[in-house]
Amino acid sequence: MKTKSVAVCAVALLVLAFGPGAFASALDAFKGEKGEIKIAGGTAHIPVMKEAADRIMGMNPDIQISIAGGGSGVGIKQAGEGLVDIGNTGRALSDDEISQHGLQVFKWAVDGVAIVVNPANPVRALSQDQLIAIFAGRIANWKEVGGGDQRINLYTRDEASGTREVFWEKALNKGDIAPTANFIVSNGAMKGAISQDPYGIGYVSVGHIDESVAPVAFNGIEPSMQTVKEGKYPIARGLYSNTRGEPAGLVKKFIDYLFTEEGQQIIAEKGFIPVQ
Amino acid sequence: MSRTTEKGVEILFFCSAFFSAFLTLALFGFMLTLGLPLFAEGRFFSILIQPWAPHLGHFGIHPMIAGTLAISLLSMVFAFPLSLGCAILISVTSKGWTSRLLRKAVEMMTGIPTVIYGFVGIFLLVPLVREFFAAGSGMCVLTASLMLTLLVSPTMILFFCDSFERVPVSYGTAVLAVGGTEMQRFLHVTLPHSWPGILIGFTLAIGRALGDTLIALMIAGNAVQAPGSILDSARTLTAHIALVFAADFESLEFKAIFACGMFLYLLTTLLVMAVRLLGCKRKRWAR
Amino acid sequence: MRRVLEQVVVHFSRLCGIILLGAVLTVIGYLFVHGWSSLGLSLIFGATPPLDALLMKRNVFNGLFPAMIGTLSLVVLAVCWAVPAGMAAGIYLAEYAGPKIKAVLNLFFDIMAGLPSIVVGLFGFAAAVFLNRKFSGAIHPCLLISSLALAFLVLPYITRTTQMALEGLPLSARMTALSLGATRLQNIVRVLVPQSLTGIVSGIILAIGRCAEDTAVIMLTGVVASTGVPRSLLSHYEALPFYIYYISAQYTDSEELATGYGAAIILLCICLVLFLLAFAIRKRISYYALYRA
Repeated sequence: MKTKSVAVCAVALLVLAFGPGAFASALDAFKGEKGEIKIAGGTAHIPVMKEAADRIMGMNPDIQISIAGGGSGVGIKQAGEGLVDIGNTGRALSDDEISQHGLQVFKWAVDGVAIVVNPANPVRALSQDQLIAIFAGRIANWKEVGGGDQRINLYTRDEASGTREVFWEKALNKGDIAPTANFIVSNGAMKGAISQDPYGIGYVSVGHIDESVAPVAFNGIEPSMQTVKEGKYPIARGLYSNTRGEPAGLVKKFIDYLFTEEGQQIIAEKGFIPVQ
Repeated sequence: MSRTTEKGVEILFFCSAFFSAFLTLALFGFMLTLGLPLFAEGRFFSILIQPWAPHLGHFGIHPMIAGTLAISLLSMVFAFPLSLGCAILISVTSKGWTSRLLRKAVEMMTGIPTVIYGFVGIFLLVPLVREFFAAGSGMCVLTASLMLTLLVSPTMILFFCDSFERVPVSYGTAVLAVGGTEMQRFLHVTLPHSWPGILIGFTLAIGRALGDTLIALMIAGNAVQAPGSILDSARTLTAHIALVFAADFESLEFKAIFACGMFLYLLTTLLVMAVRLLGCKRKRWAR
Repeated sequence: MRRVLEQVVVHFSRLCGIILLGAVLTVIGYLFVHGWSSLGLSLIFGATPPLDALLMKRNVFNGLFPAMIGTLSLVVLAVCWAVPAGMAAGIYLAEYAGPKIKAVLNLFFDIMAGLPSIVVGLFGFAAAVFLNRKFSGAIHPCLLISSLALAFLVLPYITRTTQMALEGLPLSARMTALSLGATRLQNIVRVLVPQSLTGIVSGIILAIGRCAEDTAVIMLTGVVASTGVPRSLLSHYEALPFYIYYISAQYTDSEELATGYGAAIILLCICLVLFLLAFAIRKRISYYALYRA
């Protein structure tokens, strides 16, 4: 009994000695730093970027972090041109893109792209053929896929979007998207548009799904953090942050922060799957 | 102030004026230079006719031109009678303090920001149109035109009122002298004489409607096709610039937005010339 | 028959008035109904105490303060660039230019005034890229470029109001000082401009309103959705109209949407206040000029 209580006390002392140090280390790296970090690109990354920026700026008001969206295309272009420090992308970069701009790629999460409809819509499962036909414009009424007698309103993303690229490749098999589709500029905006249109269908990052939209099972597989993590859900992609050349100073610290325990916690909170 | 300081200041004034005019030309020059790769391959006219499908190599802005024209012209169909009616209300039908109050209200309306119309359009008008017409998503040519009407009407109304006031009073006194009413004087004397002014106001309003970005960006749906009906989603040249701006700078896609910019610039110049011609005509009328 | 036409026109004009006023009141009313509940200090300052935020001691998150400071800086800078250049150009056009030069310059200013704002934004972006490549890699779309682009946008308004105000002065006002031996420049600076100050100042105030509400230009020249208070001329910044546009599409819950409504109300009030100010100044200055001078 005595040895056990001694062991417990020892462990408690060790935790007290090193615990606070271990918990506080993540943001401490930013103490005494000054400067600006400019981030642009993928819109799926924005909630994570914003949370990290809020915490860092809250701890150290001398640091200014600006976050813009624009889509993965913008991330590549602006990071490559040196207009921003970190360019976020929601799709893997081609070798051409990496060598042309000299980009360094950091993957910090895995995410899925889910098909979503308005919660009032009863349709909750679609096969790949049905999906391809819907987005090509061949199926134009919900009753053909098990819903009410209403026309289908298509919503798609802009050309710069990584989410769109992944959806087009993996879900639509590079099929056509009808030109009648409404164009939306970001994941957040897609969520907003679908939540307001009872007859709409669109696609959005799995991490962004909440009660305002309803996910649709693809070929029988529900899109969720679980299925993406296990690799069951096929429409998956990584979330990347890219810098021109090796990151240095404040930018390096920010990227390192994403890989710390605290950073990974933020990523998981926002609905993505953290990657070590 | 010595002679040299005076001369110096005068040269400064001169430079400001010419520099500003030069900037206007520089704008066109910039867009021409940056959009040159697109034209160098001889695609200039095909740009105006082709559809927009970058992954197929088509950088045509034809759907956007159609969208711009559809939305602007439809909004003028609504705005012109509305503005004329309101101008008649302010100038003729109402008198005294109501007339002044209405005019003040319209003047204040000119200050309402565009983004407010777009914002309310998304949440109020789009669901209304969607449910009422039971076709499309509510983000279409019709919705954008309705909001655009509210945007361009106040300026047009003020312009019409000024045109009516410019007709010399002496022209119409004869009507009143033989026992006619104010409305008769308006219909038979004031209105015919203020036609050039009305046309100028109309042209200026079209210019405003063609140049507006936010309303079309937020509520017209932005689909890349020429609209087939007023309930179709459409994209204007201005919204196209805002949307494609996010693409890769080196790509031909991006160069295409300089083509849009040039097209809009030339359209503006045309409208300005039209207004000047009408203005000369008005001077002849007044004699 | 004629009587019927007249009656129809009278009723039509009343109908138009009702439709227009009704529509605009619906728009404004809708904003107030939905945004009234979100108005308050927390809308502007978020969770940070107002005094700390105002003294820049702490950052404001989830509040409109950075956007308001961004808009304020934009407007002040744009007016600083545009007013001297615009007034100088206006004075030149009204006082010095010969008829042919005047016609040509007027054409250019009319084109400038009629350009869509997004084309001006595109110009600003192109200029930023050009400067970035030719001069210093540190230049990119930022507060400075945006304010220059906005100045370009409102330049024709200021020039035109100055020109019209100066040209509207009666001959007697123009000739008196000259006949007493003043030079042309002395006449302009000491007599003509002070007398036409009403028109000029109200033109400047309307230009301020235009700068505050414009979104298309700043979208292409450096505004971002989230960055805090702008630290320098070469930094990114937030702005109120862009915040409204951004929130309208990308709100994540009804609370954020309510802040959008609140921001819209604030922007609307700013623009209307500026408008009333222009009107009041016009009345006040003419009162002083005519009755108390």
